[in-house]
This record gives sequence, structure tokens and C-alpha cells, in this order.
Amino acid sequence: MVMSFFRKGDGGLDTIAAHAVSMLADARHSFDLSCMAVLSGADFDAVADDVRATDGRINQAEQDLRGELVVHVSVHGSDDIGEVLGYTLLIKKIERMGDQAKNILDLAEEGVDLSGAADVEELRSIRQTISEMMGEAAELLGNHDQERADAFRDSTDTLRYNLEDRIRDCMRSDRPGHEVVPRAILFRYWKRIVANLGSVVTTATEPLQTQGYLDDGATDIDD
Amino acid sequence: MPTPARAVLVVTLIYVFLVGVGLLESGIKVMGADTQEQLFQGVSNPIAGLFVGILGTVLVQSSSASTSVIVGLVASGALGVDAAVPMIMGANIGTTVTNTLVSLGSIRQSEDFKRAFAAATVHDFFNLMAVAILLPVELITGWLSSAAESISEELVGAAGTEWKSPIKKWVKEPVGWLKDLYSDLGLEENVLGTIMVITGIVIVLLALTFITKNMRQLVADRVERSLNAVLGTGGGSVAMLLGVIITISVQSSSITTSIMVPLAAAGVVSIHNIYPVTLGANVGTTITALLAALAASKPEALTVGIVHTLFNVSAIAILYPLKQVREIPIRLAQGLAHIAVTRQAVAIGYVVVMFIVIPLAGVAIFR
Repeated sequence: MVMSFFRKGDGGLDTIAAHAVSMLADARHSFDLSCMAVLSGADFDAVADDVRATDGRINQAEQDLRGELVVHVSVHGSDDIGEVLGYTLLIKKIERMGDQAKNILDLAEEGVDLSGAADVEELRSIRQTISEMMGEAAELLGNHDQERADAFRDSTDTLRYNLEDRIRDCMRSDRPGHEVVPRAILFRYWKRIVANLGSVVTTATEPLQTQGYLDDGATDIDD
Repeated sequence: MPTPARAVLVVTLIYVFLVGVGLLESGIKVMGADTQEQLFQGVSNPIAGLFVGILGTVLVQSSSASTSVIVGLVASGALGVDAAVPMIMGANIGTTVTNTLVSLGSIRQSEDFKRAFAAATVHDFFNLMAVAILLPVELITGWLSSAAESISEELVGAAGTEWKSPIKKWVKEPVGWLKDLYSDLGLEENVLGTIMVITGIVIVLLALTFITKNMRQLVADRVERSLNAVLGTGGGSVAMLLGVIITISVQSSSITTSIMVPLAAAGVVSIHNIYPVTLGANVGTTITALLAALAASKPEALTVGIVHTLFNVSAIAILYPLKQVREIPIRLAQGLAHIAVTRQAVAIGYVVVMFIVIPLAGVAIFR
């Protein structure tokens, strides 16, 4: 362990970014499994242990990263305090994505099974899009490509508005509650995940003060 | 600045530091014997020497600087090893003021402050206990200086002889140039000596400041990586070794111990994990006095450097292995932090009394 002092390797915020990326990969894993339980009729018990263990790992990673950020500030001083605070927000958002994935699993635990629904392919397609976005967000955390980040942010905004419309449709729907309510809740969790994904990517490119806001800080996009 | 350029700068600064030590030694030698005697008469009492060591170190906020100056004085022959040993011990106590001051930064957040203050003062209590045990033992038996003298004799020769240090040869030239420069300005004897000593001290302080600053930049990522690797898994001898390595790298125990204080305040590491790092820092910081001794011409200078190392290693050997003894500084620090968090004036009063009032009174009484 002491030899790590003499070994060459990344240090500082690069290491923290790498840990955040693996945290995001865990969040994606939880999300995919939880959605499988709701949309593909996967056995709840078969995925529940994995999702909860992954969530535990995400929570532990968040705590470890907070510690590493404090160590970073203690060693380097306040030179990159903006980035450090940005990472504090970022890891919290990833941790919340893990929680939201767990909430989707809770739907399955309550008996929600949309695998036989008429719109299941459409729902699976949205899930696939969100899952791919999680992968792309992980890539963007590593390479800080401003143009790609902007495009990513636009696509998360579009999907978020789409999910808001779907939630609104559910609220105004005349269909029975047992059909509409699970969908509204699922869309709500997806919307939260997508909003957090957009914010995760922009922590690397936007000023700290307006991260997670639109219109120069006027509108809060996270919920 | 690119890393290789910074590394070259650090090597140059170490050379400048050694020139400063050499200048200090030469400056004292230029002064008359009477002046030398008058100058160091006050520290012939070991308790006064101890307090001078504390005050000097508090003043420059660096035990590396104060011990290097002590080594320079011993190298000049004006200060004996016996008188230097208590000063070295005092320097060990004085250096703890820096992280205690850092802990006061979180005085408004009570729980953070409690943890930070305890983490900082555990260093104070350990060093106080070490001096309380080892100073009387040294005064009665002289074993620290005897042991250091034996090692020094094995390495460079017996006390009273001239040690042909290879580093000394490289340092001699610029010291001579500066001496000639001052002589050409019409300075002589005591005035010349005083100016040389002041220049030497300024060079030592500035060089150490810049060495520390640049080394911190050079090794910051390594320090961060190893702290994450070690502190997450607990304390013990590994953390102690890390304290030694970081302190040798940055040439400052204050940097190492001060890094730990915000970590304690944030609750990232416990006082039990910080404690061994602090003790490692005590040992690591002794490298500077040993380095300074390389620029000296008397084996006694190296003896003093070795005393500094032996003192800190012995303190760990006495106070760390047994859990009951090891816990004493921790409990004292936590007790003081518990009081300080409810009465913040106690924390400030502690710093003022411990590091200024008592040493000043001690020097006044015992000199």
C-alpha cells in the first residue's frame, strides 16, 4: 500500500472521474435488471439480490469518493475547488440513479408486470435508449468532449419532455388505474434518471453555479 | 512548470539550503570567542534550551528550519551537542503548533472542530510525553547523545576532528564568495559574522520554503494516491511509514500533519488512523537536519542530526507498542478537544499559553 506512493499512475481528479464512471456502470446494471423485472417478466427474486447488492456498492462508492475528494482538497488546496464541488454533485446524482433503479424494482415487487402489455415494445425501446444514454454519459465523463456533451444534453432534454408528456397523458387517461398508475410511476422514475444523466454530463462542461439548471439558472431541471 | 524542470529546481534549492547552513557555520566562526560564549550562554541550561527550541520553531513554523540552524551552530563549534539536544527536543514540540493552528480553521463547526483539534493536538501530547520521558533520561544518562556519537563516529570520525564532507567542498566556494563580498564592503569580525549568520538563516528559511512548495507540487498526486490507499484500510505501521515517506518527500512534517487535519475534520479518517501518520512525520522530518549536517565540517553536527532521528524513533519505541500507553495521547487530545469545543477560548488560550507564554517564561526563568 505504501508502495503506491512510488508507483506511476493517474492521480487527482482523473482517478475520481474513473471511479465515477464505474459507479455509473453499476447504476446502468441496476437499471437494466430492474427494468427487465418490470418489462420482460424476469423472476423478481432472481434480480432483486443483484440489484440490491449493486445499490449497496454504489452507495459505498459514493462514500469512498467523498472521502477521496476531501483528501484531494487537503493535498492540493483550493486550486480546483470548482471541479471538486462539481464531482460532489455528480456522484450524488449517480447515487440517486441507483436509488431510482431500485425504485423500479420495487414496482416489480408490488406485482407490476408490463411484459404482456400492448405497448411493451415501445416501453422496451425507451428503456434501451436510457440504458445507452448511461453508457454514453460514462464515455463523456472520461473525454470531456464539449460538442458531444451538448448533443447529449439536447437528447436528454428531448426524452425528458417526451416522458413528461407521457406522465401528463396518464394523468388525463380514462383507462383503469391498474394500467395507468404503474406506467405513470415508471415514466416518472425514467424521467428522473434522464434528468440526472443530463446533469452528470454537464458537470464536466458547465460552470458549477448553473449545473442542473436551464435558462441561465432560472429553471431547475432535476427532481 | 514541467516536472523535470521542477526536479532540477529542487536539487538547486537543496544546494542553496546547504550553502545557507555553511554560511551560518562560517559566520559564527568569524565572531570572536567572547561573542560566541555570550550568545550561547543562555542555552547552557537544558530547560532554557528546550524552550528556545520551542520558541525558535514556533517563530519559523518549521522544525526542519530550526534544527538545520541548530546543526549549523553545532558545526561552528559555538554550541555543544549537550546544549543542542534539548533544543532539538524543543523543536519537536514547537513544530506541532502549525497543525493546531490549521485545526482552528474549523472552530465554527463544533463537531468538525472537535475532530480536527483532537487530531492536531494528539501530535502535541505525544511530543510532550516523549520529551517528558527522554529529556530527563538524556540529562541523567546522556544515552541519546552517546548513541548518536557512536553512530556518527562510525560514519565520519570522532568528535573534535575535521570531517572532510564531499558536500562541504561544493558549498565552500559560494560561502567564501559571500564572505569576501561582505569583507569588501568593510565589514569585519562580529559585524561580518552577524551579517553572515543572518544571511545564512534567511537562505535556509527561503530555500526550505521553496523546496517544500515545489516538492509538494511534484508529489501531490502520489501523496493523494497513497493516502487513499493506506487510510482507507486503517492505521498502524503502514500509515507510520507513509508519514515518513510523505514528510521526507516534502521536507516538512507540518505539511504532512496539516494535510491530515481537514481529513479529520471531515470525518474521513479517525484520530487512530492519523496518529501513526503523525509519528511517521516526526521521524521523516529528521532527514533535513541530517542533510544539513552534510554541509558541516564537524562530526558533532551529524551527531546532532542523528540525535534528532534517535529521539523520535525512541519515542515511538517507548510510547507506541503498548496499547494502554499508545492511547494516552489520544485520550488527552480528545479530552482537550471536548473542552475546547464548548469553550472555544480554551483552544486559543491553549495555543497561546503552550507555544508562546510557557516557552517565554521558561527562557526568562532558566537562562
